[in-house]
Amino acid sequence: MPVAREIIAPQNDKLNVSRNLNLPHSPGIRAGDFIFLSGMLSVDPATGERSPGTVAHETRQTLSNMRHMLESAGSSLERVVKINVLLYDLLEFDNMNGVYRQFFPKDPPARTTCGVQLSAGMKVEIECIALAS
Amino acid sequence: MATMPLARIIVPPPSRGLDMAAGYGWPQSTAVRAGDYVFVSGVVAIDPDSGERMNGTVTSEAHRVFRNLKLVLETAGSSLERLVQVHAMIYDRIEYDALNRVYRQYVPDRPPARTVWSVQIIDAFKVQLDAIAIV
Repeated sequence: MPVAREIIAPQNDKLNVSRNLNLPHSPGIRAGDFIFLSGMLSVDPATGERSPGTVAHETRQTLSNMRHMLESAGSSLERVVKINVLLYDLLEFDNMNGVYRQFFPKDPPARTTCGVQLSAGMKVEIECIALAS
Repeated sequence: MATMPLARIIVPPPSRGLDMAAGYGWPQSTAVRAGDYVFVSGVVAIDPDSGERMNGTVTSEAHRVFRNLKLVLETAGSSLERLVQVHAMIYDRIEYDALNRVYRQYVPDRPPARTVWSVQIIDAFKVQLDAIAIV
């Protein structure tokens, strides 16, 4: 039997960026045992507005939003298997890591970090693949 | 249909030099296994024994990266032949052909899906590969 392809959405509507900004992607997809999340940015969960700031701030807000997204779908940060971190400048690698390791204190996921230009002047974007449950 | 949640298995580094968490303080596992798949962290040109950076040309780094990736995959019970998808990152698009010349030597037959990104790579490396493979 083919596995189902389900759309994931955050419980907090303000964090449904693709819907709120009318972007052609879903927040995430569940397929079989895995969840695939779209790239997430620092967005204020109270207003739904982008929340630009330091790399530390954006990393914290983004991972906090990612936690909400995964928990909305019945998963969690502890179930993440692979993360891709997109950073506007790798000179800030350590600033990102300092916050990042607080979210993954033990057995962190596999990860790739690369330096790219991000939209809207944001400094951090993070996507992941997680186990669904 | 209720199914058992899959185990999330941390793949140990294949050698001391490739332990990026211990050697470089990077908060990441070498690879994570889940179900039929293994997810490999970005691999760069590190000496697998000493952990020293082996910065060089795209050609020399790509050889080192593929050898390291092979070690990681084999530690996870997989292999280069079992690759499903690869992200190949290079520092400059102008070196695309240089990457490919090495790349095709390691996946000569029925190569995996691949995307090449021109990005800034940590520690001035010129090549980084990450991968999803089946075990």
